[in-house]
Amino acid sequence: MTNDELIAKLKTIVQPYIQDEAAFETLSEDTDFINDLKINSANLVDVILDVEDEFDIRIENEDMEKMTSVKAAMAIVTEKLAAQ
Amino acid sequence: MIGNDIVDLKHSASNWKRQRFLDKVFTKKEQFLVLSSENQHQMLWLLWSMKEAAYKVYVQQFGERFFNPKRLVCALISEAEGFVSINNVVYVTSSEITEDYVYTIANANCQKATNSSVIKTEIQLYHTQSSLLKQAFIESVSETTNIEPNVLNIKKTKQGVPQLFINSEISTLSFSLTHCGRFSGFVYC
Repeated sequence: MTNDELIAKLKTIVQPYIQDEAAFETLSEDTDFINDLKINSANLVDVILDVEDEFDIRIENEDMEKMTSVKAAMAIVTEKLAAQ
Repeated sequence: MIGNDIVDLKHSASNWKRQRFLDKVFTKKEQFLVLSSENQHQMLWLLWSMKEAAYKVYVQQFGERFFNPKRLVCALISEAEGFVSINNVVYVTSSEITEDYVYTIANANCQKATNSSVIKTEIQLYHTQSSLLKQAFIESVSETTNIEPNVLNIKKTKQGVPQLFINSEISTLSFSLTHCGRFSGFVYC
């Protein structure tokens, strides 16, 4: 999967939870889930679970700790997929 | 320092009954508290708001962001009073539980009296609610400190922690803002 494909998938996953349309429209690797997209933290759990379902991976809490941005989510998904 | 968190119980942002949700967020003991409670929904969001309120103090104190609610461990001494601990730091929490919301304040070392308020807004747009909350907070600070509201402004740090400035000077006031669904709240000391 290319980086663009991965970003597109993540974008679809976060869409139901975002509270800032403008930040969502311009979503990039540098977008922060909480500070930019204003995703409420309970919904960040949903994002993590949706990512697990979409990519058929399991994210441990130690990995989840860092998953506050698109870039961090991409790194973890890529790492998990590579380990499969 | 002080932190707060509100959960609109009827907004039910997350479906906590979905698979793996509980395990991601709560310790075994906390899960037991939820599952053995007469009002599971309320107990779950009570524990959640305790963790969130404590996390907000932790970020102010240590400047380290992370997303792992399970690392913040809750203990209840009554329905409304409890503790949250993380890395040997303990925060005292007090919560207000109504039919509509759960609201928790976590306190690290505020000796002074705290000012706290919950506001209900019909408009649920994030930006509208956020600016109404900031406005209410600034008005309240202005009243208690006798500082003109127009010289008070809020800026966020890189970590997303809001800070209060009096003109261009940073204030020593510790405060926290929260919103969820129809409700928002501020606390300061």
